[in-house]
Amino acid sequence: MRPLSVIVRTVCNAFAWFVAVFGVYVIVHGHLSPGGGFQGGAVVATFMALLLVSHGATKCLGWVRTNFFYAFEHVGLLTFIAAGFLGIGVTFFYNSLALSGGLFGSAVPLGPNGGSLNTSGTIALMNCAVGIEVVGGLSMILLYMMQGVFHVDKPTLRGKEEAGHDR
Amino acid sequence: MKFRVFFVIAILVVGGLFWGAADAVHPFGNPGDVPMDGYFLSHAQRERGVNNVVTSIVFDYRGFDTLGEAAVLFTAVSSVAALFRGKGWR
Amino acid sequence: MPQNDLVHGAVLVLIVVAGFFAIWFRDLLSSIISLSAVSLLLAVEFYILQAPDVAIAEAAIGAGLSTAIYIVALRGCRKAPSGGSLSPEEATPEPGKEEPKP
Repeated sequence: MRPLSVIVRTVCNAFAWFVAVFGVYVIVHGHLSPGGGFQGGAVVATFMALLLVSHGATKCLGWVRTNFFYAFEHVGLLTFIAAGFLGIGVTFFYNSLALSGGLFGSAVPLGPNGGSLNTSGTIALMNCAVGIEVVGGLSMILLYMMQGVFHVDKPTLRGKEEAGHDR
Repeated sequence: MKFRVFFVIAILVVGGLFWGAADAVHPFGNPGDVPMDGYFLSHAQRERGVNNVVTSIVFDYRGFDTLGEAAVLFTAVSSVAALFRGKGWR
Repeated sequence: MPQNDLVHGAVLVLIVVAGFFAIWFRDLLSSIISLSAVSLLLAVEFYILQAPDVAIAEAAIGAGLSTAIYIVALRGCRKAPSGGSLSPEEATPEPGKEEPKP
């Protein structure tokens, strides 16, 4: 797949970082504002989609490693299950960190309030875990489709790996 | 011709069913008497210390659902990887 | 509130119009862009119905990621010559042939 025109590439280069920062904001503030792990992870995965569509498969697959997103997905899923096991003394998925005074453990006043990040117990942990997992999973879907559709082999890729950053 | 008459009758029947269903729905912003909503809205901030009630339902009260959703995404990624994995590339 | 109803009705009508164009275009790229417009208008509709969670998910997945996936699948296809199908040696692209020369 050929790279698109220089206007599209410039706009995507500039805009992808803003999209990624907005997605990380949605993930981290998942227990305060609308959104959460899945929505924010999908927004962050749009970063990879913008780069792949604008720059083409060959250059983009030289920049990132699929193993990186593979690790993202596994770390996210295992962290999610481990956060579920934190309250195993009562039940599975019991929110043992909430209102405990420690990490993410402060109480909120009843009614409408400003909110603080240090609340909500394991919900914030699970938001970050699901966000990491969704980023890895959706980016891996895009990367695998790209390299499967366009038959990118590793020997042809290896020669262009260093030259890809220049243009 | 017979198929066209059949399709028109089917569209009328299905449209009538949808129209009846849309008439039976509560008006917007007035969901009727749902005791579960009242429980979540009144207990989420006190029990779990969360401002966002939707997130408290998704990740705490209904945590198993989110675990299943994560498993569904993992399965989708695995099947895409199994379908599109190239010859020489990993 | 009449203004809110006006915007709501306009968005619903535009969803139907965009969905009609998504199946009316013969060009597949135009069809994909129409489908993306359907998703974007559906996100606006979810936001009007006060479901911002679903609106963010719909805008990110429907209008962003699925459009990219459809475009990738479309660029992987080849247009058949008019009046016949592809010959077997032409249908299977050689690996690395269509990549741009550095």
